[in-house]
Amino acid sequence: MVGTPVLFVAIPLLAAFLIPLFGMIWKESVRVIPGIVLAYLLVLAINLMNYVMVNGPIVEVIAGWAPPLGINLVFSAFSGFLVTLMVFLGLIVWMYSYRFKRNVDFEPAKKYFLLLMMLITGSVGMVLTGDIFNLFVFIEITSISAYALTAFYTGRDSAEASFKYLMLGSLASAFLLIAIMIIYSQLGTLNMADIGSKMHLMKPAYKIMAIIFLFTALGIEAEIFPLNGWAPDAYAEAPGPVGAAFAGIVVKAAIYASIRIIYTLFDLSGAYDLLIVIGMITLIVAETAAIRQEKLKRMLAYSSIGQMGLVMVAFGMGTEEGVFAALFLMFNHAIIKSLLFLSGSYLVYNSKDKLIKEVNGIGKFLPITSFLFVLGSFAIVGLPPFAGFWSKLSVLTAAADSNMLLIIALVLIVSIIEVVYYMRVVNRIYFFKKDESVSTQRPTLNALIAMITLGAIVLIVGFYPDAVTGFLHRASADLMDKAGYINDVLTLN
Amino acid sequence: MKKFVVILLLAVMGYYISITFFDIGFGDSHLVEGVVPVKDAYLNETVNSLNVANTVTSIVVNFRGFDTLGEVTVLFLAVTALGGILYKKRHQAGERSVLFSASKVVTSGSKLLFPAIVLLGAYVFIHGHLSPGGGFQGGVIIATGFLLMLLAYENFTVGHNTLSVIESLAGITFAGVGIWGLIYGGSFLENFLPVGTLNDLFSGGVIPIIYIAVGFKVAAELTGVIYTVLHEKG
Amino acid sequence: MEDTLFKILDYGVYGTAVLVILIGLYGALVKRSLLKIVIGLSIIDSGINLLLVAIGYLKGGTAPIFSPGYLDNPKIMVDPIPQALVLTAIVIGFGVTAVALALVIRLYRHHGTLHIDEIRNLKW
Repeated sequence: MVGTPVLFVAIPLLAAFLIPLFGMIWKESVRVIPGIVLAYLLVLAINLMNYVMVNGPIVEVIAGWAPPLGINLVFSAFSGFLVTLMVFLGLIVWMYSYRFKRNVDFEPAKKYFLLLMMLITGSVGMVLTGDIFNLFVFIEITSISAYALTAFYTGRDSAEASFKYLMLGSLASAFLLIAIMIIYSQLGTLNMADIGSKMHLMKPAYKIMAIIFLFTALGIEAEIFPLNGWAPDAYAEAPGPVGAAFAGIVVKAAIYASIRIIYTLFDLSGAYDLLIVIGMITLIVAETAAIRQEKLKRMLAYSSIGQMGLVMVAFGMGTEEGVFAALFLMFNHAIIKSLLFLSGSYLVYNSKDKLIKEVNGIGKFLPITSFLFVLGSFAIVGLPPFAGFWSKLSVLTAAADSNMLLIIALVLIVSIIEVVYYMRVVNRIYFFKKDESVSTQRPTLNALIAMITLGAIVLIVGFYPDAVTGFLHRASADLMDKAGYINDVLTLN
Repeated sequence: MKKFVVILLLAVMGYYISITFFDIGFGDSHLVEGVVPVKDAYLNETVNSLNVANTVTSIVVNFRGFDTLGEVTVLFLAVTALGGILYKKRHQAGERSVLFSASKVVTSGSKLLFPAIVLLGAYVFIHGHLSPGGGFQGGVIIATGFLLMLLAYENFTVGHNTLSVIESLAGITFAGVGIWGLIYGGSFLENFLPVGTLNDLFSGGVIPIIYIAVGFKVAAELTGVIYTVLHEKG
Repeated sequence: MEDTLFKILDYGVYGTAVLVILIGLYGALVKRSLLKIVIGLSIIDSGINLLLVAIGYLKGGTAPIFSPGYLDNPKIMVDPIPQALVLTAIVIGFGVTAVALALVIRLYRHHGTLHIDEIRNLKW
């Protein structure tokens, strides 16, 4: 082993505190250091992932106290996979926005990279932690960075979107604390594995109260209907790369937390049905809302919410195939939606309202960006042979295996809706005449590299899905193995 | 109309939270049978292996020190976010959005009180492992001293760079102690210093060091928040 | 006598905490002024903190501090964990409130008003 999981939190924090000092000596360092840190973390994640695939999960204790006394971090096939994905996307977003605001003296630009790094750290912490109160702390780290990043542009209504997000976010943290209190008052512990092993002792009435509060709290972060009021505005008003980071990183972490809670902490079978019902409602509401949107980023945001609903449905099946499908969807969504956000924000770079009709005929002026956007569109609606096809197929087979015909019907209908609104944009890009008043902006080289990397992954996974399915099978087996998780954590000394 | 819906919703929610907590009960051990709570171990280990008198401090800094690192980060991020959100149109030092002239009594009194407040704050965070209090509380007390000075003197200035350097150094100390523990002790934030005897000022290993760093950091950050908001042009 | 006192406390402490949370929620959800919303959010935090501390209380317990002389004459101690958690929750609440107020200042600068109906450009 070359490092330990705690470095995923310790190194960015150390760097965050160092950046103001280095910034006084060399101004560029505010941009460069987060990139170096993220690159290092990616290397670390890949190394640890290789180790975990061979030797099984790494459970790390903090401050030398074995669980349940101390806080512990769990780097397993499941959490490690998500961490690797998040750090990779973080590096892509960093690379994309490296020349985002040229002037480093511009004060928000100084803060931007720091906050972005902390957004990723908070999400990674949410995934790694094995302690329910620590989860709360990391959710707050993520949220505060997210509020600040949403309010980045002063010209737009970003402060309003951010305030809305903050309101719902603080309600979420209040509910999360109430749930933590109920659990703590009964079981006297905050460690997730310990809670999981003792959960059967708790009265069912308390269990239901706790899970309702936990689910409400995490539903707000994970954009689950009807708690997702913040999401479309925050995506639309935040800078493009931040939207990509929300869709690819923050929401994934929130989904991970809710899934970990339902699969490992609680033993309520009703919770799975709840997931399916909520996921279906989210899916239908979001996809029908997406088709009505006039702004490009709002459309992408609603599509993102809908995909999260589908992920919830897949997790709600409770079978290993279902979990595999959900993880595959999460992986594809993270890559493809980030690609769509990154390329989409160049398509509407100079327009004020970011309307869909302003992309008319832009395909001739921005050939590569448009091509990548179209590639992303094809992939996300699930056209073969792109990446999204395989994940949708695995959802369908998983649903067929557990005889859930309603889900199959729903996924197919929703796919048609998706085709309609994505192809509408693709049609405008290539077959409409360009509006002369709309000026275009060429992407910078680093942004182009970032987008092409994502596009290449979409193609590779599309033609050769086995590149990731091995990891995904291990990850889903890991999530289903509740006894193994508890055993790994609690027998550590 | 919306009001009634909200009130109804809150009534339902309040009812369910209340009955849950009334049922849990106040002031007894409300744990389910057969569970050994973590707190017993904390209370034992605090005296036996850490030699820290204040159990809350030992939990905050050692057992759950990772939470505290996160918490300090939240504060740091709040200050950073404040700077990012309110960057435009900042007043120069000395010209502020809230202008008022304090009387002679207030100015002289503040000058008299300021060192005492700072001293009290420092006492609270240095003795965090022995008596109630600690880094956060001491830091807040020091920040109130600066708030008093900013209210009493229109042209009282605090160097923005100084605050930022103190903040960074304190944060580096915390994270650095953690990493040092990882290298020499085997796990992040692990104690690597001798623990001394119970109720001595020099006891508890790294706990006082971390809490002093936290105290400096909190004081600098809260002062920074007050200063930023006070110099905001409306 | 002591029993009745504890009975009142039993319902009183939790009841007050829940009431404070509800007042805060009412403020945050119904009031139309941004500043009042922020105040509502901080009231929720206070209620939650009260609830959290109350969970750790034990009848007749002392503060969880091993002061000189305590070890010779031990009594029961209240649960220290909720107190540590409250410390974290308070600091986090402070951070969120600071960011919220900064956003309010910016909205006021932009729109010249704090009334939520007049600054609604986005759908709520």
